[in-house]
Amino acid sequence: MLTVDALDVFIQASHILRSVSLDVGPREVVCLVGRNGAGKTTTLRTIMGYLRPHAGRVEFRGQPIHGRRTHEIAQLGVGWAPEDSGIFADLTVAENIEIATWTRSGGRPAAERIALAYRVFPMLRRYAARKGPELSGGERKMLSIARALALDPEMLLLDEPFEGLSPAIIPAVSAGIAAITELGHSILIAESNIHHVPESTRRLYVIERGTIVFAGAAQDAWRDPSLTRIIGSAA
Amino acid sequence: MSGRLVLAAALGAAVLAPLVAPTYQALLMLPFMAYAVALLGLNLLFGYTGLVSFGHALFLGIGAYTGAFLTSVFKVRSMEVILVAAAALGALVAAPVGALCVRYVKIYFGMLTLAFGMVFYTFVLKFYRLTGGDEGMPFLRPALLGRSLEGLSKIDYLVGPYYYYSLAVLVLATLVMWRIVRSPFGLCLKTIRDNPTKAETLGIGVARYRWYAFVISAVYAAVGGALLGPPTGNVDPTLAYWTQSGNIVFMTLLGGFASFFGPVLGAFVFIYLQDWVMSIVPFWRLIFGAILAVIVIFAPGGLAGLLTPRPAAAPRP
Repeated sequence: MLTVDALDVFIQASHILRSVSLDVGPREVVCLVGRNGAGKTTTLRTIMGYLRPHAGRVEFRGQPIHGRRTHEIAQLGVGWAPEDSGIFADLTVAENIEIATWTRSGGRPAAERIALAYRVFPMLRRYAARKGPELSGGERKMLSIARALALDPEMLLLDEPFEGLSPAIIPAVSAGIAAITELGHSILIAESNIHHVPESTRRLYVIERGTIVFAGAAQDAWRDPSLTRIIGSAA
Repeated sequence: MSGRLVLAAALGAAVLAPLVAPTYQALLMLPFMAYAVALLGLNLLFGYTGLVSFGHALFLGIGAYTGAFLTSVFKVRSMEVILVAAAALGALVAAPVGALCVRYVKIYFGMLTLAFGMVFYTFVLKFYRLTGGDEGMPFLRPALLGRSLEGLSKIDYLVGPYYYYSLAVLVLATLVMWRIVRSPFGLCLKTIRDNPTKAETLGIGVARYRWYAFVISAVYAAVGGALLGPPTGNVDPTLAYWTQSGNIVFMTLLGGFASFFGPVLGAFVFIYLQDWVMSIVPFWRLIFGAILAVIVIFAPGGLAGLLTPRPAAAPRP
């Protein structure tokens, strides 16, 4: 579904990603784990077309997408829930979700997509008429994921879905993400806390200082003492 | 619901004004209605898309000169033809100008629109043989709905048929704009204003949507400009001067760009206040400058913002 091949990315003069490769298969849930500043968000932003790779390729469903514009990549079927949620403050919760059914029409009918978004995060239905500033951090996060889901994407990119949330709301977000992993999307989750990785995650990539240092099954990562220092410390 | 009542009352007052108000006050409604049409369009760009144009007098000018050319050079007197031609020419000029301008945002967008506005102003001012230069061009009395109306005196024409014609155009323009801002397209413009980079992640081509908004706003400004012509009967380059662009931005701020009807209210208050202040003191610009400063500092939501109390902010979680 998604193949990232030997990506080198610079932000101004800094070499942020060094030959990063990863792939996500159809219906697969893959996690990109690493500490803050390791390059997780940069990887996702590059996939999403915000950053141009210096070298390397990004392919989505067999066609190269590096160098495409962000809105074109979204149109192709990549849904993104950014780290900072990025919900539209002047739109209500309902409008935030509905707009995604309009900007990428085709595929499943809008009503079905909206219903699905609310089914995954039932809490949002209560806040349907509220606007962005009236939501808590966790609610924004849920809305951001719900909106990406309403785009009816084949691939979902979730950037640190649990970052900065109050412990009280983490179970609701976690339940929603678990429900999404059952829906059959390909999902790439960037996460700094290994304990938040959903159970359905088969494969894990660990990124450290812009380099992939581990790729493999989740349980193998725990056996590697050099990795537990990285992923175990982030608790 | 009270909003609808206010709206109905305002419309009723506008319908009755020529019958009950002094003729002079009714005449002042004509530029108000013309500016109101232009401002509905400007606010699609300003309030809904977040782009401040300082060059929209360009499109007012295009609309007005279209009418002047058609009536005095091509002997076309039909107001319907004039409005359609003004809208088409507005769109034709806005398409390339907008394509260049929407690549920039904030002050760069504003300055670029200002530059294009001044290019047009200089053009109509200097091409004396074509445009009459600073003397302008006559905008002959247009026929309305195919009726020539030459038999009426100018005042009877303006506060009679032309008044209601302008009102009908304003109502129609309002209904169309209402549909536009309520459509998914309107929502997309709002997302672009809120956060253009995140709007892209939903598949919204930001530059293209900004361009649509620019062209639509130019069409509205051109139609408003064409409506401005008949009351004075003459079109001159001051209509396209940058202070005009400033005035319509002022009207928008005065009324409140965050509200759909704010700019219309702003145009109304501007026109009547300007008339009143000018009748008392010669330095009306000083007064208006002070008003603008007060609005920006104390009422950034404009008059509409003062009239509609903001819902109390929810407590921060």
